[in-house]
Amino acid sequence: MKTMETHLGGNARVTELSPRLAAMKQRIRAGEQRRLRDTQIVEVQPECDAEGLSWMRRAARQTSRMCAAQTVVIEPDERIVFTRTVCKVAPLFTEEKLRVLTSGVTLHELGPISNICADWGMILTQGLMGRKQVALATRARESANTEAVEFLDAAIETMDAVMDLARRYAATARQLGRQDVADVLERVPAQPATTFREALQSLRLCHAVLWLSGHYHCGLGRFDQYMWPYLQADLEAGRLDESAAEELLAEFFISLNKDSDLYPGIQQGDNGQSLMLGGMRRDGSNGVNPLTAMVLRVARAVALIDPKINLRVDRHTDLDLLALAAELTRIGLGFPQYANDEVVIPGLVAAGYAEEDARDYTVAACWEFIIPGRGMEVVNIGAASLPAAVDKAIRAGLAAGESFEKILERIGADLKAQVKVLAEASRKLFLPPAPYYSVLMDGCLERGRDLSRGLKYNNFGIHGAASSNAADALAAVKTLVLEKKIIPADRLMRALDTNFAEDEALRLQLRNDGPKVGNHDDRVDALLVKLFDLFADACAAAGDNGRGGRFRAGSGSAMYYVWLARGHASMREPVVGATADGRRAGEFFSSSLAPSPGVTVSGPLSALQSYGKLNYRRVCNGGPLTMELSDSMFRGQESTRKVGMFVRAFVQSGCQQLQLNTLNVDTLRDAQRHPERHKNLVVRVWGWSGYFCELDEVYQNHVIGRHIYGE
Amino acid sequence: MRATKKGPKRTPTVAIDPTGVVFDLRELTVHDGPGIRTTVFVKGCPLRCAWCHNPEGLSPEPQVMRGAAGERPVGRSYTAVELATILNRQALLLGDGGGVTFSGGEPLMQAAFVAAVIDRLEKLHVTLDTSGYGTEEDFRLVAGKCDLVLFDLKLMDAEAHRRWTDVDNQPILRNLAALASMKTEFIVRVPLIPGVTDTPENLRAIAQRVSELPKRPRVELLPYNRAAGGKYAACSLEWHPAYDENVAPQANLKPFQELKVEAALA
Repeated sequence: MKTMETHLGGNARVTELSPRLAAMKQRIRAGEQRRLRDTQIVEVQPECDAEGLSWMRRAARQTSRMCAAQTVVIEPDERIVFTRTVCKVAPLFTEEKLRVLTSGVTLHELGPISNICADWGMILTQGLMGRKQVALATRARESANTEAVEFLDAAIETMDAVMDLARRYAATARQLGRQDVADVLERVPAQPATTFREALQSLRLCHAVLWLSGHYHCGLGRFDQYMWPYLQADLEAGRLDESAAEELLAEFFISLNKDSDLYPGIQQGDNGQSLMLGGMRRDGSNGVNPLTAMVLRVARAVALIDPKINLRVDRHTDLDLLALAAELTRIGLGFPQYANDEVVIPGLVAAGYAEEDARDYTVAACWEFIIPGRGMEVVNIGAASLPAAVDKAIRAGLAAGESFEKILERIGADLKAQVKVLAEASRKLFLPPAPYYSVLMDGCLERGRDLSRGLKYNNFGIHGAASSNAADALAAVKTLVLEKKIIPADRLMRALDTNFAEDEALRLQLRNDGPKVGNHDDRVDALLVKLFDLFADACAAAGDNGRGGRFRAGSGSAMYYVWLARGHASMREPVVGATADGRRAGEFFSSSLAPSPGVTVSGPLSALQSYGKLNYRRVCNGGPLTMELSDSMFRGQESTRKVGMFVRAFVQSGCQQLQLNTLNVDTLRDAQRHPERHKNLVVRVWGWSGYFCELDEVYQNHVIGRHIYGE
Repeated sequence: MRATKKGPKRTPTVAIDPTGVVFDLRELTVHDGPGIRTTVFVKGCPLRCAWCHNPEGLSPEPQVMRGAAGERPVGRSYTAVELATILNRQALLLGDGGGVTFSGGEPLMQAAFVAAVIDRLEKLHVTLDTSGYGTEEDFRLVAGKCDLVLFDLKLMDAEAHRRWTDVDNQPILRNLAALASMKTEFIVRVPLIPGVTDTPENLRAIAQRVSELPKRPRVELLPYNRAAGGKYAACSLEWHPAYDENVAPQANLKPFQELKVEAALA
């Protein structure tokens, strides 16, 4: 790839796609690879039924049949291969049978294990043959343990299936005269990778088979950490120069976009192909390496929604790196998302993670902090509705003429009740066997225990959703009703019950005169902190999750900012009508950590200061402060670098996670009117970026209605 | 932590706490000096530049703007202590190299207030963004407390200056000379207005004047702001620029290069 001049200053530079990759990207965005897909449905049930296979063996059979059904696709200009041709993942049971098998338990979301992160570094260094040796050794040792033997046999079946798929690719490549492709696939993923290209190809195949096995939200983890040794060796041996390395990396990134329309998610783009960069190593040293910046340069050149980049930062993070990261924001990709090592790591340690594991964190699909290879965590089992807790407490408390302290007690009790419902339901969670995913995790093959039986970390996460609206509503009651006594309680009750239909004046008063989160105003920020403290208390009180883990409190909202406001079929959480912050029934809540929609805020520094007050040591599940910057912020030579300086301000503020996006409302409105002109327009939705024109209108409108900070 | 080690001395000498009127406190400004900044827009300006894009900064009094989204009060009084407290709370976030910028309006119109605020700022880089119009005493008072002055130079011809800005340019040129004799770092900024300030004669005259200063500053040519007229109606003012907005201004760096004055398009 070609290096271009840059306006970023310092040593930051950017690159652009080669004509070969530009053409490949265009083909994939146009969906040409979809013509290669089979309509055939892979059937595994009949043979599994005939053989009377257990769930474990069925899962392995599914992986092996899905791999076997793949048609080999090697495009003439491809160096990193694999294109999915089987669309639908084969079901293991009939719906009826599944209902019987899961009576009395619940499946999480779609069922298969999702939203965790493999130990990709381990797979690249051991190779599947290495993993198979481990499985065989454990099998010999545990030969009397039928459960272990069954699991290990299933795991071996999946490894054999992946290696067989690779062999078929290699053979076809040989026939086509593509010796380069054949050479690589004859080695990996069976053998340990020895070059950067082998490592990328091995990852591409092993990762794609996760999706083929029905797993989803499959993360890529700390990519620059586990990939750098291969690149470094190539660079030192002169096998690759930087430009050739960027070319391979860009092709790998493009390949992650080939099949993503087949991945399940709430909306197209919500697929969890997240990738983490930078941050501390397990030993506490600085993990930033030359691949860190290369990934940012290449992601900028590729400019597609996958992979979704995250960058770990601390007060020493190089400004050149931050400027380069801001350049991705400038072009509107909606990433990177930043995580503050200085806040996240102590939070994880406080939640019981070993320090070296805490330093090794990555993010799940969106923002929840997890440890690659070591966690079988379910980081989003549900959300507590903070506005519902506040609403109920206000109504009951004001009706009884109670003090503010009493109202807070009611909120605490309500949150405990909400969390208890979620916790009890989650104790019935059944995680189905996952023999292939187990191959990729630490200790499963070594101990002869499937991933679904648990790993080193087995916590569940619950989000405290729509927090800013809740704090604003509580602050309005505290200041305007209880302290200043400007608003009589019965008038407020009436207005809430009638959705302000007859009292617009009161709505405006609540809206304009109540203190609002995001302004560094302690009157309301203190209540936000209190709400999260009460929520963390509720999570702590919920105790053990039945899998040897606990409930982690988080601050994300995902789709809950819509669902809690409007209801949703799959939801246990209560829906709230009009709220005391002057929000009408049905209007969206704040998303993750962001000021309530439509309120006046002083600016981005004040917002950092408001959200920097939270006790993140008790709220460690993750959930970013979300900010939109006007694209005018990026005008002029130095300004992109200044967005990097703003990320430093984020570190200083003590906030945990930051999602920075850039928006131009006029462009978005034009895209609603003329979608054909904006096919490649990318926006960040919640924990993920998607193509604006592929979103449902409700999400499009939410994006348009966000706070935009700018000049 | 940073910049003010060698910076100007700020001493809150008197116990008085003057009050000033500010029409905006904007966070994360990136075009008003080094690093990331908070810009204080001080209300009131003696100039009436035909291209002014902040008409709400013209009157020194608080007022109401009426736009499509309803009415909005503009202009809030702060005591120097109040404003300094707000700004000092942001010091940590503004970090290395960032700080506070006083803009407007014209900060020199409320020189005593601005000086009193600056005196109370801790560890913050301070920039003054000024038209240069004011008494020399006021100018020296405020500029002497700043780390950087962004000094606007619009038109060298006295008559043209009166016609386009309503005021004489003599005080401005006098203050520019004063600034060049002071220790404060400064940059001369020229707003490019098509057919008005971007003429070869005007740019040459500016280059000439700058080249004669005892300390040669860098010159920045500012691109024309096409949204200039946007807020006039909301301020109950009319917008009739007597120049053609649709003509792209000439960003002509040659007159500066010829006289070896460092110049760039901002």
